[in-house]
Amino acid sequence: MDDNFEPTILAFFCNWCTYTAADLAGTSRLSYPPNIKIIRVMCSGMVDPKYVIKALLEGADGVLVSGCNPGDCHYINGNFKARRRIKLLKEILPSFGFEPERLRLTWIAASDGVLLAETLQELVAQIKTLGPSQARMQLVG
Amino acid sequence: MGKKMGKALVVGAGISGIRSALDLAENGYGVTLIDRETYMGGILSQLDDQFPSNHCGMCKMLPLVKRDQSSQFCLRKGLFHENIDIRLNTEVVAIEGEPGKFSVSVRKKPTWVDPERCVGCGACETVCPVEIPDAFNEGLTTRKAIYLPVPHTIPNPYVIDLAACNHCGECQKICPTQAIELSLEKRKEFYVLVVDDELIVRDSLKAWLDEEGFSVDVAESGPMALKKLSKASFNLMLTDIKMPGMDGVELLEKAKESFPDLCVLMMTAFATVETAVEAMKTGAQDYLMKPFDPEQMIAKIVQVYEEIEAGDVQSLEVGAIVLSGGTAYFDPTESKNIYGYRTNPGVITSRELERMLSGTGPTQGRLVKPQDGKNIEKIAWIQCVGSRNVQLDADYCSSVCCMVAIKEALLVIKKNPSPVETTIFYMDMRTFGKTFQRYRDSAEQEHGVRFERARIHSITADTSTGKALIRYAQIDGSIHNETFDLVVLAIGQRPARGIEVLSKLIEAPLNPWGFIQTEALSPVTTDRSGVLAGGSFSGLKDISESVMYASAASLEASRIIHAAGGSLSDESFSEPAFQDISKEEPKMLVAVCNCGNKYSEHLDEEALTRQLQQDPCVDRVVFLGQCCTATGWEELTGIIKDRRPNRLLIGACHPYLFIRKLRVLGQQIHLDAEMMDVVDIMSPIFTQTQNPTNQLSAVSYRLSALKMGISRLKNMDPLPTSMQPVTRRALVVGGGIAGMHAALAIADHGYPVDLVEQSDKLGGNLLWLHQTIEGLSLEPYLNETVQASENHPLVHIHLQSKITAAFGDVGNFYTSIENGDGSIETIQHGVAILATGGNEATTSAYGHGTSQAIMTQKELESGLAKGDVDPQKLDSVVMIQCVDSRQEPRNYCSRVCCPTSLKHALTLKKANPKIAVYILYRDMMTVGFTERYFTTARKEGVIFIQYALNNKPRVSAPTKTNTPLAVTVTDPILNRPLEIEADLLVLATGMVPQLPATLAEAFAVEKDQDGFFLEAESKWRPVDAIKEGVFGCGIALSPRSIPDTIATAGAAAQRALRILTHETLSAGKIIASVRHSLCSLCEKCIDTCPYHARHLDSNLEKIVVNPAMCQGCGNCATACPNSASVIQGFSDHQVLDMIDAAMESNWPSLSIVSPGEPKS
Repeated sequence: MDDNFEPTILAFFCNWCTYTAADLAGTSRLSYPPNIKIIRVMCSGMVDPKYVIKALLEGADGVLVSGCNPGDCHYINGNFKARRRIKLLKEILPSFGFEPERLRLTWIAASDGVLLAETLQELVAQIKTLGPSQARMQLVG
Repeated sequence: MGKKMGKALVVGAGISGIRSALDLAENGYGVTLIDRETYMGGILSQLDDQFPSNHCGMCKMLPLVKRDQSSQFCLRKGLFHENIDIRLNTEVVAIEGEPGKFSVSVRKKPTWVDPERCVGCGACETVCPVEIPDAFNEGLTTRKAIYLPVPHTIPNPYVIDLAACNHCGECQKICPTQAIELSLEKRKEFYVLVVDDELIVRDSLKAWLDEEGFSVDVAESGPMALKKLSKASFNLMLTDIKMPGMDGVELLEKAKESFPDLCVLMMTAFATVETAVEAMKTGAQDYLMKPFDPEQMIAKIVQVYEEIEAGDVQSLEVGAIVLSGGTAYFDPTESKNIYGYRTNPGVITSRELERMLSGTGPTQGRLVKPQDGKNIEKIAWIQCVGSRNVQLDADYCSSVCCMVAIKEALLVIKKNPSPVETTIFYMDMRTFGKTFQRYRDSAEQEHGVRFERARIHSITADTSTGKALIRYAQIDGSIHNETFDLVVLAIGQRPARGIEVLSKLIEAPLNPWGFIQTEALSPVTTDRSGVLAGGSFSGLKDISESVMYASAASLEASRIIHAAGGSLSDESFSEPAFQDISKEEPKMLVAVCNCGNKYSEHLDEEALTRQLQQDPCVDRVVFLGQCCTATGWEELTGIIKDRRPNRLLIGACHPYLFIRKLRVLGQQIHLDAEMMDVVDIMSPIFTQTQNPTNQLSAVSYRLSALKMGISRLKNMDPLPTSMQPVTRRALVVGGGIAGMHAALAIADHGYPVDLVEQSDKLGGNLLWLHQTIEGLSLEPYLNETVQASENHPLVHIHLQSKITAAFGDVGNFYTSIENGDGSIETIQHGVAILATGGNEATTSAYGHGTSQAIMTQKELESGLAKGDVDPQKLDSVVMIQCVDSRQEPRNYCSRVCCPTSLKHALTLKKANPKIAVYILYRDMMTVGFTERYFTTARKEGVIFIQYALNNKPRVSAPTKTNTPLAVTVTDPILNRPLEIEADLLVLATGMVPQLPATLAEAFAVEKDQDGFFLEAESKWRPVDAIKEGVFGCGIALSPRSIPDTIATAGAAAQRALRILTHETLSAGKIIASVRHSLCSLCEKCIDTCPYHARHLDSNLEKIVVNPAMCQGCGNCATACPNSASVIQGFSDHQVLDMIDAAMESNWPSLSIVSPGEPKS
């Protein structure tokens, strides 16, 4: 495996919790890797499975969806819906040639800047171990 | 637009102050929200997680309609609203005038750092040599003299704690933006007179104050001081109390006569503290204790200097004032400190534990022993520290600590990396609110929290292990010793700091416990007309009740301003007009902040410009020095006015910081703020300088972030906001006290109300309740309210009527009412309030119904009122609490039964002191100030015997008539059964709701498992249904006392008014729409919408979205199989383009294979 492999991870952060945590991590000068490209969405339940598949097909080595803790969703229950969708999506990812580990769903509350930074670091490390996405390598030739 | 005008002042920006301010702002009033702290949020800024979700959810308090007027991000980060002027670090100094027309002076204390220039880089903090305990972390960490008061708010400028500052000037030297304005020069103009008969005191004080830079003079006696005062002008006088001849108090009086503005601090030894406190009533600002601790003394004098000299006093004209000062907390080091707090390292307070569990706390949420940083294996809570304690002047229950302790126990179990034993030592577990009892049961049965009813003897350090050793007595008298890694003191609430001063200022007295006095049956009304008390300022409340009381207070404030016809506001609340750009091609200005060239190695301006301008929609790329400062913003505004773009993208740090600025800018340049966006291009770069090992370049990160921003913004459709017309009429169901109160409140604001009552009489439970526990007769109040309802021209009363059906949404409901004569009437209304109340539960337990000597509390109340029960004929009365309640299937506390039993016990005792009254209870739920009746009852000789759920009392019917009943109960102190002969057995059966299923269904109201109205969110939206426009109040929500019921009715009316004040309504810009050409009418979106905002219009054969209800969560769009549901601002087109941009800049040389994307 290429030691210099730096994965690209696309992250969908909900406006209310995780995006705020990312902001807090920034304010607190917590170290988190720049491998993450963040798309702010209003709710984790807004993340359409096609966004995840598109990102993986276009070269993302991992996709992270993160929202409010169960019971905390600003929109009452959007995070539960996200949980169901992501679970199903993980089931079908292998049929596209992607390991299910490339997709992750987490709950990170607004005050958990530290947890956010740790999660990102750990995710980058995991995707590095997994290596570049083979499906994408084949697709883009 | 013909909006109501008027202004209000809300004092205190904790959770209740925020609620009141938002309520009034949503009603269209201008609000000034002040707080003496430099941050918002009060106590909740320190607490991450709350019962019952054990997480947060504060953001749910933000407006749901007209969302774009306010911030739409985490409320912990901050708040803005177009109608709210937030002033922090500000206090009230004077109030004059009358309801409808107050003149209030507020003083803003200086922070010594210009927030318009501070960029939050933190350089100052690194060079400051001072270290003092950080109050935000409850002293568990230290901070510098220049510091961030709270780590997470925005904007978050640094402030200087002048009392701690040593004036080394290092921060001033290093500040890159010259934001620090710390000058000792001004102190020379602050003249202090020190009066003391002892030379050494005079000299040492003069020396200390000289060193601090003040101008100081001294006098050795009262007459000499007066002479000096008359010759020169002084700002502050420090005077000793005990002086020969003229003493300090006399000097104070004489000096104040001639110089009323002079600030005076009394200096006192311990023996004369009371005199000093008295002196404060005659005008002294404060007192200093001898012998002096120079640090503390200087801190106090600097504080006075800051307040009176450097502060900026401004005058406000307001119609009403809401006090939301919250509470303080008991300091266990006060008085005897029997638990060894601060001396025993294993003893902490519940607030310290909250900080330890917080992500922004000293250990980032990891729980460790403060002594050695190791994991915790065993932890205990001790309840009622500083409350329910007559010796500490706290004959009240703090009301929140029991639930706080259970929540903390559950959080500890969840967050601790290894298994942990949790024990709560308590007197009574006061699980009195909705869902509290089941939460406790689940903690005990599912999570293993141990509940130990015990009396704590002492907490010491175990000599062998150093752990905290608790010695306690169980209820049977047995003594136990047990060690714990950590002992948490559940400290009780106390009156807010400075409440005495404020009380004098507004001329509204305090109650016997030192909280602000409110009227018995108008629980938010203080003695000063036009001044309301919200939240826990008037007593002990949890979040949910604070929020309800805050809304009730804002309702009364609104009533006052409305009645005064207030038009003090000089602002007009008109909808901003934006230029029509719908036919223009995107023309985007990209402004990139280079943070004063601080990170220039990561920024090749030319290359970046070239890359970005590849997209033809980018008109220009500009680089700004410091976007977040006033200068930077002016520069940007200038460029925009020159280039006139129709899209603006800013690349900077902390996007939330700019949202409000963009709204203001939008109004200036007539461009909808939706056409502007900010992307974070800094956060990873801040840290990359510390962590250069990462090989991904920050340049690529920035480029990618900006390209993603461009993708979203260029595809943004400039759509007009959809509006929903509002029928400005209300329906209130239930003619009890809650329903009448809500109806009158709405009618008083000029909107017609239909009040529907199923019986033939208004009044509900007040028809049989005769007096309150305080001894207040309810009949006059009921008559007054019924008459007011009957006589109000806008209240239409429907007696013997019921709702048969309703359809529609917020703004337009169509409801059929079946009137007493059988006729059906359909009314159109904008909102509905369900106040259907509840009744005492019926029972067959303990032989109820088999003997006239066995009755319920309600039957006793009627019996006493009618004279059927004659106390003179009774020798012994037994009352049993929690009959059928606090156990499945009615596993909730009805809250009113314990006070009711006490009321009746005391009534009986008063009528006939010889009666033996026994109350058999599980936990006495005398929350808040009702605790005093529990104390009184014990003094009066009422005997309380605790029984366990698995060993209930037994009742034997008498064998002969006219002989007493025999009640057998196991006394836990004697640990043996007692048989009590009772002439009367009174059962407290609790309350059951009366919310008809047809009514609930008609308004899509969900019921909880006990049949009560299910609120949208128990803490943050406690009177709203999930469906917008429907509200609940009174006992329909949950059992509660009359004052609390009235408060919920006020809150529901307030929530309803925020809809009725609008002719047309929209939820906000980010809402869903339907592309009907793609829609297959599968209705998946209707099922998935959490707000009931969609329905199938069978006439149009279309899915229709109610624009006043849709919150823009996007779940419908994800559920839609045809991409027919589109979210403004987050359309597929936008998000898919962003994904392209994100990936493209990473692989610029590759051609991207992408799946077919729908064109929107």
